Amino acid sequence: MSDIALSIAQARTTRPRSAATVLRIIQTICIFIIALVIVSPLLLLVVASLKDDRFQILADMGSFRAFWVSNPTLSNYAEVGHLSGELAFGRYLINSLIILVTTVCSGLIVNSMAAFVLAWGSFKGRAVILSIVIALYVIPQESIIMPLVIMVSRAGMSDTFAVQIVPWVASPLYIFLFYQFFAQLPKELLEAAEIDGASFFRAYRSIFLPLSLPALATVSILMGIETWNQYLWPILVTQTDYARPIAVAIATFFGQDSIYWDRAMAASVLMMIPILGLYLAFQRWFVSSFIGSAVKG
Amino acid sequence: MAMQQAISSTSVRKAPARRHDRGRLMQEAAMLAPAVILLTLFLILPFLLSFWTAMTNQPLVPRPTPVRFVWFNNFIRIFQDDLFWTALWNVSRFTFWIIPAQCGLAFATALLLHQKLPFRNLLRGMFFLPAITSMVVVCVIWGTLFQYPTGPFNQILGFLSGGAIQPIDWLGDPQWAMFSLVLLSAWQAYGFQMIVYLAGLQGIPDELYDAAKIDGANVFRRFWHVTMPGLRPTHVFGLVITTIQAFKLYTQVAILTQGGPKSSTETVVHYMVRAGFEEQKMGYASAVSVILFVIVLVIALIQRQLLRRFDV
Repeated sequence: MSDIALSIAQARTTRPRSAATVLRIIQTICIFIIALVIVSPLLLLVVASLKDDRFQILADMGSFRAFWVSNPTLSNYAEVGHLSGELAFGRYLINSLIILVTTVCSGLIVNSMAAFVLAWGSFKGRAVILSIVIALYVIPQESIIMPLVIMVSRAGMSDTFAVQIVPWVASPLYIFLFYQFFAQLPKELLEAAEIDGASFFRAYRSIFLPLSLPALATVSILMGIETWNQYLWPILVTQTDYARPIAVAIATFFGQDSIYWDRAMAASVLMMIPILGLYLAFQRWFVSSFIGSAVKG
Repeated sequence: MAMQQAISSTSVRKAPARRHDRGRLMQEAAMLAPAVILLTLFLILPFLLSFWTAMTNQPLVPRPTPVRFVWFNNFIRIFQDDLFWTALWNVSRFTFWIIPAQCGLAFATALLLHQKLPFRNLLRGMFFLPAITSMVVVCVIWGTLFQYPTGPFNQILGFLSGGAIQPIDWLGDPQWAMFSLVLLSAWQAYGFQMIVYLAGLQGIPDELYDAAKIDGANVFRRFWHVTMPGLRPTHVFGLVITTIQAFKLYTQVAILTQGGPKSSTETVVHYMVRAGFEEQKMGYASAVSVILFVIVLVIALIQRQLLRRFDV
């Protein structure tokens, strides 16, 4: 009896479910097609970077051969990867990596420390400072860049690594993201730490910071993308190859009359790899944490 | 007696506590200081300076003649310059096109991705890939896609139309150049916006959908009466971010078109950088930057008003 009832119930649910399954399969196929269309320019980039003949690249562009290499070669990468010479992007890549790692690491420390004080500190002016920080978020980088160029060149800082790192370490957005994360953690954590005799800094370093992995991941990704892709600021403050980042190098190279498409493609692929690695390493925490705060903020 | 004990014990407890407080205050100050100093030096100070510089004839390279205070002359000259109004008109056109392209595509893919599809993370990663790609690299790729007359886009269009559509000079034709920049910019930025939409969708409680289902609402009514209202803050956020980004349009222009052809892709930031670094007029460029700030501020204030009206 109960078996019959069960099978009837199953029959009732399976019919709409199979329709739903078909719908789901169609949706999956659709979204994969869209995804392929979206990614195809990047595929094209990778494929073109493996072709040695830059005239062939342009000739292939108009057909499906653009997505196919008959005899892949890494010679473009070899040429572009040198540390010195006319088309050497290795050096710029290393410059960019230095700037990226330093900016993100110091940014994580400086912004999270400040956010922790704003969230759990004991002095009265916290609310005021917090609202000033939030208000500062409205100022776009483009609006301060003119006086900033004059400031750093007067200070003799142009064409250094420092000038590309120090101004962008502290950021209202990242302070605010950390603040939101710390503020939602329970107050008892801090009290317990203090009863155990831990100092304020110790509570931050040993308890709150390890708990804020999602926020650390989010800020790393956002700040990493931002730093890595900077273009306007570095072209204004770098004049020589000494500290020039790869974005500026590719752009100058791109602007030349005879474009070496093959090398430009290889350099571009190389430029994508580090930031892709950063994203893959942290993406697990990225989506969930970033947005709740960004949308409501 | 008990009272006295309590008092004495509190006083005993208070003494070390106060010492502890002072140490704690020192720690708090030390932890806050780096951010405060950096923000003051590299954000607040240049921001205030930009207002000052905007009212001087400050050159890029120091000259022997002293810098003069010119009051609002820079602003007057900017407003009298047709090229500035062209730039403003161009970014408005850009905004008008990119909002449906970018937000619409992001919203649609987020709706599709929100369901329990296989390979969800892989798909999400694929859609986000352009967003982590540097704008310089995007320009290298799209520069080849836009090639005239035999680039991929022209070939595809010619193929689809059976040769009826003549090749378009995407970046060289004043009628098409800005539209081409819209295409590549939307492609680059929409993955980011899709993630914002995904999070917005995740924020809508399932109970609302269940309740709507029990009330007999079909898929479309559930979308219109549950999903859309639930996404209001997300829509506002997306619109505002996209608009602000559009007004800061620069890199694509600098690399691909230099403001041309015939000033059809000149933008406010490109205009500013040219005034400051090609014509070496820092005061004038700072005045443009002040105007840019005012525009961004107005957009941000509108966002706040909208969000408040939607009671978020």
